[in-house]
Amino acid sequence: MLTVALPKGALLKDSIRLFQGAGLDFSAFLDDSNRQLQIPDPTGAAQALLVRAQDVPVYVEYGQAQLGIVGFDVLKEKKSKVAHLHDLGFGFCRMSVAVKASSPYRSATELPPNCRVASKYVHSARDYFESLDLPVEIIPLYGSVELGPITGMSEAIVDLVSTGRTLKENGLTELEVLYESTARLIAHPLSYRLNTDGLRDWIKPLQPAIAPSA
Amino acid sequence: MIHQPPVGARDLLPIDVAQKHWIERRLQDVFHRWSYHRIITPTLERMETLTAGGAVQPESVIQVWDAEEGFLGLRPELTASIARAAVNRMAGATYPQRLYYTANIFRRQAGEQARGQHEFYQAGVELLGAGGVSADAEVLLLLADSLSSIGLTHWHLVLGDAGLTRSLLWDFPKPLRRKVREAIARLDRIELETLPLEPSLRERALSLMDLRGTPDDVLHQVSQWALDDTQQAAVKHLKSVVELLEGHPSVTLDLSLIQTFDYYTGLVFEVVSDRESGQRVLGQGGRYDQLLSLYHPQGQMIPGIGFSLNLQDLQQVLLSVGQIPNQTLASDWLVVAESTQAIAVAFRYAQTLRIKGAESAVRVEVALEASSTDSARDYALHRNIPNIAWVNASGSVTIEAIESIL
Repeated sequence: MLTVALPKGALLKDSIRLFQGAGLDFSAFLDDSNRQLQIPDPTGAAQALLVRAQDVPVYVEYGQAQLGIVGFDVLKEKKSKVAHLHDLGFGFCRMSVAVKASSPYRSATELPPNCRVASKYVHSARDYFESLDLPVEIIPLYGSVELGPITGMSEAIVDLVSTGRTLKENGLTELEVLYESTARLIAHPLSYRLNTDGLRDWIKPLQPAIAPSA
Repeated sequence: MIHQPPVGARDLLPIDVAQKHWIERRLQDVFHRWSYHRIITPTLERMETLTAGGAVQPESVIQVWDAEEGFLGLRPELTASIARAAVNRMAGATYPQRLYYTANIFRRQAGEQARGQHEFYQAGVELLGAGGVSADAEVLLLLADSLSSIGLTHWHLVLGDAGLTRSLLWDFPKPLRRKVREAIARLDRIELETLPLEPSLRERALSLMDLRGTPDDVLHQVSQWALDDTQQAAVKHLKSVVELLEGHPSVTLDLSLIQTFDYYTGLVFEVVSDRESGQRVLGQGGRYDQLLSLYHPQGQMIPGIGFSLNLQDLQQVLLSVGQIPNQTLASDWLVVAESTQAIAVAFRYAQTLRIKGAESAVRVEVALEASSTDSARDYALHRNIPNIAWVNASGSVTIEAIESIL
């Protein structure tokens, strides 16, 4: 049976809508009273796993799910070995460097060498500062990264920004955009190659449902 | 303090070893029946030897410092060592050479898998000095015979041709060719859609990424493309190989199956277990017609093709289908000395049992503790030993059969 991994959080609604377009209904995950993490489609043709966004590529890489939907930010951070099939257009956001609005820095290159940068996206942050040839100390955090500069623990942060409101309300300003991110349809490479469970036929109807990102 | 093995290392306890040997013995029997000879190469090699072929990244090798030799690497695979040994140590040998190995390999895992396993076991073959259709077919048929010898009936063969796929990439402008190849190797359709390619080339790249299916379909599809003579010859070659595989239950011809490095020159393939066993890669291989020349003192080209099977993955798949022994062998005999004076006689009698039963690989153990008759019986019962030989100092032996509790 086809298994798809769906991310908890911001991408869930659009992901469920996408699969509805392909005739698979996982809307039970949107029901507030639902506590199940694994639900079948009412037709019995497929099932869905509800997992943290960071874990979607893990389930897909190990083949427990043949398809998954996850943000490009997570794929870039985890460097998972999965097939990248489609840019789904929704869930737009950007990975940015931000500092206190009151700080003197106006670009990332102005940051002092060996300064501290707090981030949930340790690899993205490290790769970016390496590409600038600027040595920094990355402080891994799991959330509320904005507190890094506010409390003085770090000079800057690298974090996901969608509207910029959180940054503004916490007195931070965006310096640079590392990359832009949208939701991606990913697949288990071996299942994709072998067309396990008729995977190719499942992917096809997922395409017309995709809204152009323009 | 508690002594632990290093992260990534693991102990194989007697039951693990019994299962591993069960597989290895069957594979070796098949390799012998196909006239392959075992070769043993060193666990440590010079780093230049390991990385010469371009498929091995230095950071994936566990390195060992030697004051005189400098950095040595624990082999991450066997083909480099065998290629080195074949061209330097077996100079003057006639070809083809049929070689096989069963050995441990070491891989340093990076990133998220850094704490994962780093020692693995492989069994494989290398067929050196033969480049034709028959050599390709022999290796694939030997692979199939090997898997059926261990009772694996359901598996998929994913087959590609690195030489053909690479030549199909020549159509792409040089600055982008590498990126197109990496995107195809990683199955990254999004990258292909966003690279600055002309529409016709983008179409070509996207269809190359999905150029897979039943051999007939794919061969038909690719022969519709504008192919030069070499490419046409490669397609014809592939067709002949596929025809020789007829009767194989599941072959997927996949022309997107390429690596990002130029190691394989022709046929490439992977063995994948079926859905029920979690669809893992059980083995892999391919043709490497340039590799041996890198080790040859005069750079002589000697074709080669081979495969390696991942023993641990095979073991797990076989466990899930219940093909493999799930306990270690019990002793056939327990020899008990009835008194301390009888110990010498007991050891002598045990030895006669061993010699008599050598053909049937009899297992004889001597009771080491002088203890009561009942405790010896309990021991035999508990360990599933079917026979006790009671030996007394005068040399007389009483044989007792133990009823199994099972």
